[in-house]
Amino acid sequence: MPDSLSAQATQYIPPWKSPYIIGIAGFSGSGKTTVAQKILQEINEPWTVLMSMDNFYRPLTAEQREKAFENEFDFDKPDALDLDLMCECIKSLKEGKKTEIPVYSFASHSRTNQKITIYGVNVIILEGLYTLYNPDLAKFMDCKVYVDTDLDICYSRRLLRDIVERGRDLEGIIKQWDKFVKPNSVRYVKPTMQSADIIIPRGTDNKIAMDLLIEHIHRQLAAKSAEHLLQLKALGKVEKPIDYNKVHVLPSTNQLEGMKTILLDRDTPYDSFIFYFNRVASILISHALDFIEYVPSRADNRPVISPTGLIVKDTMFIKDEIIAVDIIRAGDCFIPSLKKMIPGVKVGKLLIQSDSRTGEPHLHTEKLPALNTDCNLLLFDAQVISGAAATMAIKVLLDYGVSEERVVMCTYLATEAGVKRISNAFPKVTIVVGSLGTSDPSRKGVDHDMDSWMANRFIDARYFGTD
Amino acid sequence: MTEVAKNIIQLRLTNQLRCLYTIIRDENTKRADFVFYSDRIIRLLVEEGLNQLPTKPKNVVTPTGATFHGYEFEGKICGVSIIRAGESMEQGLRDCCRSVRLGKILIQRDEETAMPKLFYVKLPSDISKRYVLLLDPLLATGGSASMAIEVLKQKGVPDERIIFLNVLASPEGIKVFQEKYPKIKVITGMIDDGLNEHKYVLPGVGDFGDRYYCV
Repeated sequence: MPDSLSAQATQYIPPWKSPYIIGIAGFSGSGKTTVAQKILQEINEPWTVLMSMDNFYRPLTAEQREKAFENEFDFDKPDALDLDLMCECIKSLKEGKKTEIPVYSFASHSRTNQKITIYGVNVIILEGLYTLYNPDLAKFMDCKVYVDTDLDICYSRRLLRDIVERGRDLEGIIKQWDKFVKPNSVRYVKPTMQSADIIIPRGTDNKIAMDLLIEHIHRQLAAKSAEHLLQLKALGKVEKPIDYNKVHVLPSTNQLEGMKTILLDRDTPYDSFIFYFNRVASILISHALDFIEYVPSRADNRPVISPTGLIVKDTMFIKDEIIAVDIIRAGDCFIPSLKKMIPGVKVGKLLIQSDSRTGEPHLHTEKLPALNTDCNLLLFDAQVISGAAATMAIKVLLDYGVSEERVVMCTYLATEAGVKRISNAFPKVTIVVGSLGTSDPSRKGVDHDMDSWMANRFIDARYFGTD
Repeated sequence: MTEVAKNIIQLRLTNQLRCLYTIIRDENTKRADFVFYSDRIIRLLVEEGLNQLPTKPKNVVTPTGATFHGYEFEGKICGVSIIRAGESMEQGLRDCCRSVRLGKILIQRDEETAMPKLFYVKLPSDISKRYVLLLDPLLATGGSASMAIEVLKQKGVPDERIIFLNVLASPEGIKVFQEKYPKIKVITGMIDDGLNEHKYVLPGVGDFGDRYYCV
């Protein structure tokens, strides 16, 4: 999406675009990993990843590998790492893209066939000897930490670790230390301390320094969340009328009004609720299918002939595959009806939940089929209240390669503010709405507001019987 | 939907509808697909048919405790299918109205006179008090539909409470309704070009019952 072309107020930047990156450097055995794990534990959010620079070791040649097994290969000089690839990966993550990270095997001294896919993360903790070595890499980092532990202590830790945990022989360890680890540490690692923002002497033992560091990170992350929320808020505030060429509200009919009354009635029994929601869902899906792309003839131009022997004029065919994505759990309410209309349809799922305190939406899980610019994408959520979850969901779909103009969002109850927010962020997305209300989502739970039900999520709870 | 003439209602002609009809018109379409896509059209027709029924205001209390000024369905209904092809539309009606009563009428062409002849009628006893959704996928000459309507009228169902649903209509059939039964609502998916000498709708879908039930 050409971000630069759209106006500032109508941009949506998800938290995973410009994740907060913490870089941790220090000698081998200095306690970098322990510091990283402590931070991870303290942040305590699922969208945080810990990434070791070890993944970026260059694969060895046969000759180098032989040397490695005899402790004759220098793993401790900066060249042993593919810093360019690392820069590329971090840059890609910093841009919010889905990124694949190589996996290195010390057993075979090569990259394995596996790759770790990272997407949707808010915080990245990067640790390794040379985390702060390359200025191109360091510029992506928001917080640069150097763990400054005395080299002698590092040595003793390393000895212990390699003998006890890795079962290596003493002689080899000493040889490697004297020949490679120590000289490289002094020559290449130590100077990178200069580019650190925070230096932690003695690692996690240094409680004051750790507390300060963690407090700082918490503050930065809180500021980042606040900015995200503010941006979502701003998207709803744009004074632009709803574009009814893109937002299609089902025309009111006797049946729809009657069914809405049944669905809003708190005394409606479960079986009736499910039955009538399924009926409404079929009508909505049918309406949504009017906005996918069709072509008037087959790829091979073969005519359609009816059993009466005549060529059928005015033919129409669905262009490209239809893929459905639902936002768990409210979007799931559409799936039984969808499966009846398009039996073999692929269904992707997104779990996006709002923080109960701040209301900030978070992407927890995304399980999506292969997506591309040509697919007709139907996105489902039973209700749009603030529109934040849907906005985030659409952003994920675009990150996965779907074209904005081919996304059709399908929802039953929506607030004007929510729909505006989505449209402002993604003006080319089609939104099919069963019933559009004027209720203000900020007046959540206000009884005398006639449309208060619009501002509360209840459809999924009633549909699944968990209210 | 579009009201093409007084009481003649046609489904809104969207690309999706064109697509559904392309599939059922194609002579190479397999039976399973013919059934599946016909059923989708039938569902749209049933929803449109039900929309003709009246509602009255009703207030309900929502889960948030607010009062919602809504509507409730008014009037009892029943479905009446013309055997055999009309029965293909019963499930579509049941999918929207779970316990709807279904009457059946068998009309067949008399081999000697080539005129439609009534063989069998089973209807709910209180049919005169109900709205009747008359089901037959093809409206060709309007011969059997007229006969079925005469049966309903005999049982005391007024014209304005009969809604005739069909997948495909011929201009000839539509004309019969406009002249003979102007008060009956006809809801059709599409109106085709005309009829051939065997009274098949053109370009049509062939024999709907045969394709749906595989004879």
